[in-house]
Amino acid sequence: MVMDFVTLGGNLLGTIPLGDIVLYITPFNLFLFAVLLGFTVLIALSKPETQIEATMHKLNNTEVKVGPKEFKQRRFLSIICGIASAGAMITGDLFNFTLFMALVGILNIGIVSAVKQTTVLNSAFNYGLIAMMCSLPLFGGASIILASTGTLSLAVLSQMPASPMVVFGAILMLIGILGESGVAPFFASKAEMFRTAGSPFIVIIHLSSLFIIVRAVEILLLVLW
Amino acid sequence: MRLGVLWNKLADPKNIPRLFAFSLGIILIVGLIVPMALNPDQLYTRPAPQVQVDEGLAIAPYDRGGEVLKAPGIINPQYPENAAELGMITGYMSPLAQWISSVSPYFGTSIYSSPGGLVDEILYYTRGFDTILESSILMMSFIIASWLSINYTMNRKNDEKEIKADVKKAINDSTQVANEVKANDVKARSKQLRRDN
Repeated sequence: MVMDFVTLGGNLLGTIPLGDIVLYITPFNLFLFAVLLGFTVLIALSKPETQIEATMHKLNNTEVKVGPKEFKQRRFLSIICGIASAGAMITGDLFNFTLFMALVGILNIGIVSAVKQTTVLNSAFNYGLIAMMCSLPLFGGASIILASTGTLSLAVLSQMPASPMVVFGAILMLIGILGESGVAPFFASKAEMFRTAGSPFIVIIHLSSLFIIVRAVEILLLVLW
Repeated sequence: MRLGVLWNKLADPKNIPRLFAFSLGIILIVGLIVPMALNPDQLYTRPAPQVQVDEGLAIAPYDRGGEVLKAPGIINPQYPENAAELGMITGYMSPLAQWISSVSPYFGTSIYSSPGGLVDEILYYTRGFDTILESSILMMSFIIASWLSINYTMNRKNDEKEIKADVKKAINDSTQVANEVKANDVKARSKQLRRDN
């Protein structure tokens, strides 16, 4: 059986043609897209949380607050991050998806880099190293699949049988996605990034990786089956 | 090694890039034994290697034919219905490029000298959305970098832990230097003593 849009996401509701890159909408993709956009609107409207940190061996508590400058920068980057991950939900092109993925990765580092806590920045730096390395498997995987099938369109790829080279390209893409979205066993640097104040902005980092993983599973099924 | 020790190592952000690089390396090495087969039916067509060079075309291997705004060149879209005017500027070259290609037979051998129209049609017409995304990635990284250079969040001058570590390191370093000086002193003195005798 061939996995295509209909078996994975339900009836094709429509396409958005942009030259060779055709975005497509099924109930599944539309749901993911709408949830992410809705969450992005919530982030744009909400105010960040403040954390109270207890101090060891002392009686005073320190308040970790998000300053106005930091708030503006992180809100801006979070909104772009939400839109980018929403775009990744409906894209119908392999290379386009990897670009969205790279954009989400750099925005995740950006959201955290505005924090003034050195432990958080240290793990953001380590995540940045992984994100840099990920560009090789992400784009390399997509280009290997392009070389062995001659196309990048998911609609065409889903109808093609998978050759060993396509499987290798898909595995490369998978490790790129795992590293970029911080799934186990590469979770530690990304998980440590969350340990700071400013909840809604931190949550979009988490949410974008979760949604992209779900979407990546769909794309890999389309390519491989 | 006990499993718990391994899990604890996995929880340290410092080890993660190394682990990732290692697993990526393993996969790339495995990739060397995967049978590679190039599909000749490519979306972005190119003639077989050396064919255009043997024919003696001035812009080999990038000659896709076509006359600017008159006849379409050889270029394949995935969805022809979305790119009706494709191929009309495939053969475009700037006056400078035209002059070089008339003088030199090697004009087409490097990507920066390839006919501008061909690249433009892929970058800005059939795959224009990718180009928008690429430049927005660049823009976002510039925004982040410029914000960081103004606000300098990495400033560790007032970080207590860093100060403690620095002081410890300074003490160690200075004792080390003192020891070295002492050893050198003894060495020089014994040398001098030998010379005097």
